[in-house]
Amino acid sequence: MTFGDILRTAWSNLTRRKVRTSLTSLGVTVGIFTIVVMLSLGVGVQRVIQQQFDAIGLENVVVQPRDAERNPYTRYVRPEREVVISPAKIAEWQQMDDIVSVTPIVDVNESISKRLVLPGDAAATIAVGVDPGIGINNPFETPPTALAGVLRPTKDGEIVISQRALRRLGLTAEVNNLIGQKVQLIMETPRGESQSFDYTLVGVSSVDNNLVALTPNDSIALKAWWFNEPDLLDKEGYDYALIRAKDLNVARQLTTQLRAERFRVQSVETVLELASKIFLVINIMLGSVGGLALFVATIGIMNTMIMAIYERTREIGTLKAIGASRSNIRTLFMTEAGLIGLFGGIVGLLGGWGVGRILNRVALAYLEREEVPIRGDFFYIPPWLIGLAIGFGLVVGIVAGLYPAARAARLDPIKALRHE
Amino acid sequence: MGQSTSLIRTTKLQRTYQMGKNTVQALAGVDLEIERGTFVALVGPSGSGKSTLLNVIGGLDRPSSGEVWVSDLELGQAPDKKLVSFRRDRVGFIFQSFNLLPTNQAWENVALPLMLAGRSRSERRKRAENLLEQVGLGDRADHRPAELSGGQQQRVAIARALANDPVLILADEPTGNLDSRTGRDVLLLLQRLVREQNVTLLMVTHDMNAASYADRIVHMRDGKIEQIETIERTAEAVA
Ligand SMILES: Nc1ncnc2c1ncn2[C@@H]1O[C@H](COP(=O)(O)OP(=O)(O)OP(=O)(O)O)[C@@H](O)[C@H]1O
Ligand SMILES: [Mg+2]
Repeated sequence: MTFGDILRTAWSNLTRRKVRTSLTSLGVTVGIFTIVVMLSLGVGVQRVIQQQFDAIGLENVVVQPRDAERNPYTRYVRPEREVVISPAKIAEWQQMDDIVSVTPIVDVNESISKRLVLPGDAAATIAVGVDPGIGINNPFETPPTALAGVLRPTKDGEIVISQRALRRLGLTAEVNNLIGQKVQLIMETPRGESQSFDYTLVGVSSVDNNLVALTPNDSIALKAWWFNEPDLLDKEGYDYALIRAKDLNVARQLTTQLRAERFRVQSVETVLELASKIFLVINIMLGSVGGLALFVATIGIMNTMIMAIYERTREIGTLKAIGASRSNIRTLFMTEAGLIGLFGGIVGLLGGWGVGRILNRVALAYLEREEVPIRGDFFYIPPWLIGLAIGFGLVVGIVAGLYPAARAARLDPIKALRHE
Repeated sequence: MGQSTSLIRTTKLQRTYQMGKNTVQALAGVDLEIERGTFVALVGPSGSGKSTLLNVIGGLDRPSSGEVWVSDLELGQAPDKKLVSFRRDRVGFIFQSFNLLPTNQAWENVALPLMLAGRSRSERRKRAENLLEQVGLGDRADHRPAELSGGQQQRVAIARALANDPVLILADEPTGNLDSRTGRDVLLLLQRLVREQNVTLLMVTHDMNAASYADRIVHMRDGKIEQIETIERTAEAVA
């Protein structure tokens, strides 16, 4: 008996009882549907998150200095730094192979009081913060853009101010016309000392806060004055450095190297690895729900096959009498069971795909309404999931068919022929 | 053994069934020789062991003791695989209740033994149409069993029994489910096939009228052969 004959015979036997066959494979459909929906959600969400992280740039490494151990006697003193991101270090990193860029970042603390002032107009004064500009965007917010000029100052003495702060200062003219405007930052210590710093406006940003952006050197100058430490940069260095590596591998190597040098290093990859571990667990849990449904489906197929064998006992006897071998009979019934599973798998896959597409639309509409700048398919069916769904359906059918098929193959032809 | 013209030879053939404490002797020492190309009827009262003998000779059942030779194969000791290929390639079975597969068309039913033997579909179709022609159902090749009368179904079954070009056809009450007229047609067909194709036919029946179509009549009683009767037929009796 050729495989084509087996398939054709199995098919005609299955279509003989269409309703029963469909109902039996419905069990598999439910199981595969659940697995496909769950896994495609798991995979999809993970992919969307991965894409967001990719947008941030996995090749970015954020380096921070490490504070020395504090001892009880120096509790109220600013902590010493064990390792310092000095301008020399920055230069050294810039010299390294496969490094795209190194950006020093200075964090001008919120508690340092500073006011933005228009020269010659004492009334136009607001309190502002200094945007450190980490250079990594929050994936859940729309990244700021330059409404005029540039987003970040490139030379010392330059400043970028948010549009909102400018409005508050009374500068309501067309933003492009404000470029080149002189502004001052006035710093005041609680002791009453004050100092003003002069800047030229080179850009207006869309940030929704009263923020200004300065060069690292200018930021350091503010802090040096505030703490009364003229050589602050030499002693404490920068607060962060953002190192952009050529690729993920370089970033990984760099991370290990810098950690060995006692720097604190954060790379997005670490976060992502944790995330994928969590997703693995979630996927397994969700998949198990479908697995349970498949287990029930297996029993259903087994039941149907045993019933079919009972009904077709005479037929089996006839086939054996005219020369069918045990393996012919076994293969035939395994094929029938396998086909039931296969159909269930295909229908479940198509159903899961369809439902996923609908839910994608719904999710996208929701995100658009909420103005979250995340796009992508939350239900995503990778090629391996197609294979898994169909293969699983087939395997469930075959496994369910094992016992009934063996029973059919074992039937004594004489008894089978006498069966009513 | 097994040389000479005889196709079937059984010696001291026994088949016993264990029913709890009781032993039922379905065959109690059967010595039988059947020559190639004869039509043999097996008659006897119910329970005399006719079907059992037929099944043993067809390789469906195994004797408890004794030997059963068909041509050069001893079926009692042959491995299962041998029995399967024996049934598939050298024997044709005809049953009382036809036993056609309901989902298959007439020609597919006829071609079943060829499918099991792994022949191509086109070859099967050709041979099946040929055989259906021979049994007078050339125009019914695409009908399903449910669309055929009992006599037609049995003729399809006869065509199926011929499909593998067997040396031996075994029929267990082939006319048992047919009215006497249709039964007569079937018996005449069987008679013709034996004559034309030199096939050996062993037919179980308890209808003496049906048995009269055979060349020899073997009478069984209590698992033994009681008497063998050879029918002398004149030319006009055939027609
Ligand atoms: N599987 C079995 N188990 C027990 N006893 C059996 C079995 N098969 C047959 N027998 C017994 O063997 C004897 C012969 O049975 P067999 O079927 O050969 O009779 P038969 O001559 O074909 O009768 P009938 O004309 O009614 O078909 C009977 O007594 C029957 O009860
Ligand atoms: Mg009988």
